[in-house]
Formats: sequence, C-alpha cells, structure tokens
Amino acid sequence: MSEPKKVLIIDDDPDFVSAIGMLFESAGYVVQSAASGREGLQLAKMTQPDLILLDVMMTERTEGFFVLQEMRRSPTLSRTPVIVISSIYTEEPVFRVSPEAGWLPANLFLAKPVDPARLLEEARRLTGQSETVGAQAGGRERL
Amino acid sequence: MKILKMPKQNLDFFVSVLPAFGEVYAPVRRGKSYAFDRPSRWSDVVMNYPRTILPPKKLMLPPREPTFVFDPKGGYRDLLVEASKPMVMFGVHAYDIWGLNILDRVFVQGKYPDPYYIARRRATTIIGIDYDPDDKHFAASMNADFADTGFDLFLSDIGDEYLVLVGTSRGDDIVVMSGCLMEQPAEADFAEYKRRSGRRRAAYKTRVELGELPEILEMEYHSEVWEEMGAKCLSCGSCSAVCPTCYCFDVNDEVELGGRAGQRVRSWDSCLFKTHALVAGGENFRGESASRIKFRFYHKQRGFVAEYGRPSCVGCGRCTEICPAGISIVTVIEKIRGERHGNASSVTATA
Repeated sequence: MSEPKKVLIIDDDPDFVSAIGMLFESAGYVVQSAASGREGLQLAKMTQPDLILLDVMMTERTEGFFVLQEMRRSPTLSRTPVIVISSIYTEEPVFRVSPEAGWLPANLFLAKPVDPARLLEEARRLTGQSETVGAQAGGRERL
Repeated sequence: MKILKMPKQNLDFFVSVLPAFGEVYAPVRRGKSYAFDRPSRWSDVVMNYPRTILPPKKLMLPPREPTFVFDPKGGYRDLLVEASKPMVMFGVHAYDIWGLNILDRVFVQGKYPDPYYIARRRATTIIGIDYDPDDKHFAASMNADFADTGFDLFLSDIGDEYLVLVGTSRGDDIVVMSGCLMEQPAEADFAEYKRRSGRRRAAYKTRVELGELPEILEMEYHSEVWEEMGAKCLSCGSCSAVCPTCYCFDVNDEVELGGRAGQRVRSWDSCLFKTHALVAGGENFRGESASRIKFRFYHKQRGFVAEYGRPSCVGCGRCTEICPAGISIVTVIEKIRGERHGNASSVTATA
C-alpha cells in the first residue's frame, strides 16, 4: 500500500479546520493544520506536505496571498500544490480580480463554502492519492 | 496620461495582485530605518516613510553581482538571465525615480550600454508614491521632487484615496488587471491633488541654490573648504553607497583553488576610497582625502551637468543622514557659494 499523503490546512477558523480535517482523514490523508500564515509557512517548510489548503483572510485580509508568494519563492515549496479556499469574493465585494486572470500562483481557487466532494476530487488529482487508501491510514498532526 | 483614483482601503488588494508582474519589493521597517524588501504581509509595508537606507539602485545595480561563471566542464555561462527576473518596486519616491532616470543616462543611453542594468531595468515595474519632505530632503532644489517619467504608475495622496497616474503601457496592464479597485476621478480630486502638491512643495525646509554652481565650483577649485572637508571625511564611502546615482564599480575575477573555474564579479566602489585612483606602480591620483571629496562634489555638481545637463544629485538627503563625520552636502555648497562661514558640518537648514 502506498504511503498516505500529507495535507496541510492553513486557516484561522477552527471549525473549518476540524470539518475539512476529518474529511481528509477519512479519505486516508495525514492532516496537519496551522492557524496563521506565519505558522503555516513554518510548518510547510518543516514537513513538506503533498498538498496545502490555504485560507486568505486570516490575521490580515490578504495574508494568504502573501503566504502563497513566499511559498512560491521557497525552493522546497515552489512546486507544492496549493488550493486557495476563501470567502474573499463574497466578504469583500470590492475585490473582483478573478483568479482566472492568472495572477494567483495557486493550483486552484475554491470559494467557501466549499463542496467537500469537489475538494477531495481536486486533492486526489493534485496529490495522486488513490481512493483505495483506507481511512485507517489517515491521522492528525497539529502544530 | 491616464489618471484614475484608488481608495486607500483597496491598497492591500492592489499590492496582492502585483506579483503577477514580478517579485514585489516595498518599503518595510529595518530597525529604526526603512529598506526596500519583500514584505511578508501587507502590514509590513510602510507607506509614509521618509527615505530608505539604500536607494532602488541596490536592485538595479546590486552591491555585488556575479556577471558570468566559467569552469572546464560547463564552459562559460553568462548570468544575464538572472538579471532579467521581473520585479515590482512599489512605493518609490520621486527623487529615487529621478535617481534611476539618471542611472539610465549612464547605463542605457551612455556610450557603453550595460546589458545587466538594462535587463533589470526592462524587467522592473516602478510604482511611485509621493511623500512629505523632512528636514534633510532638498529634492525641490534639485528639480527631483516630482517625476514626469520613469514610472509605470504613480500614487499621489489626496486624502482617503490615491490619484493614480498611469505612465506606461505596463502601468496600463496593471490597471486593466486590478481596475476594479480603481475609480474615475472627479474635478474635486484634481483640485485636492493641486492643493496638496503645492503644500508639499512649500514644505521643503532645506533648500540649496544651484544657479551658476558649476561656474562657482570652477572658481573655487583651490578653496580651503576642500581641505576642511578632507580633514573631516573618514573616506568610509557611506555617502556613495547610499547615493541613488553613484555608480562606480570594480570588477574582479574570483577564481577557485586550482585556477580553472571561477566567476567574474562586479561590486560597488567609491571615489572616497583611498584606493579608488590607485594605479599600477603605486601612483595614486587622489591620494589625499581632500582631493577625493572634492572630486565627488565636482563630478555630481559640475561634470554631470556638462555631460548630461543636470546635476546627478537628487536631494534625497541620504548622504547627510549617513555621514559619520556629519558632512552635509547642503552646507558644503553654501560654503562654496560664500553663503556660510564656519563649521561646514552643520545640517542647519536655510530658507
């Protein structure tokens, strides 16, 4: 059986982390989480996850964008798949620069509330995690 | 020129989009001072800074720059491509934009175009911002307190918004991408812009008279002011390091042990260094500190005027701020003009 993939959730909303964490654990991923961009970046550099789920509006409302830039600059994280999951477009209607315009160096942008099935499907596509990896393989590591 | 306005509250979103045009450098805190660096979050960016320790020159003409490498296996490899990485310099003051425009005259339009400088300049987006002068700025006297060229976008504070001047087609591309963050300005915004720009121009506490200065320098070539300055100057070169327009450099081949592989490196030099005019055989054309400081003033205020039509000083005040001996360019000029007597290291402003 292949090694379970590691997913890092960087989000300051503990309910979101808990819900999405359980979803990924049940799909056989090892889940790590961090509640701020700075912690997330530190953890990502230390543990080299296979996938990062990144919120935008944390301590600052554009924090995730800056974290993503720093990840793309890092030699060890520049190719790590990142899914940005945010409600920025609904909470900040003035910000209408579409992620489709090519400015966001993420693999995917998903709006909150996120569809769990779609998120898992995209995660599998980006990590190569097979659906057959059992729930027993998953687990939780928290910073 | 296209003019728009952007609410200040949209600025963090605007800066978030800029990486699409290159790695973003902005003024951030560095101890008690400020430096152009990569912000790790929006709150790192300081919009109302007086001046940075080093000017944007540090990114266009890096203090130490390998230009090519060579080794027996790989042969020769030019590092020009490294210099072509896109950058965005956000929050550049007008005098620093002038500093780059002056460097352009030397490295782009001069007799010997510099491919490394040109590659960086072409790959760099400049977003300017206005500022309130402090007691060391004298950019108005140097006609460098506003920029009409050399920027892609320029932000001018008009209260709750910035007026956004679009200077180039690249600036227009940024506007197209982030346009939803901007609005059309109204007549009242233009009136506020004019009011504030007039107020800023009047706010310069330090002024220096440039009229006939090249001729006066010609007359004062043997002035005792230079000896006085030479006695104070420590020849540390700090003034040239922080100057937006000082561009002297040295070139060295750094060869690895064995002598078959290495790299060519150019690094900043300074005409204040004792070795600057030292040549083979031990002859030094400017061995005395007084002759070196005089050379610096003559090059900036006279030689550059003759060759390029304006002094290469932009009035940023960095050299006055950094000089450990307290030498002020303004008071030196005043002494040479005969407008000041006594201690030339005083930084007292004149109206």
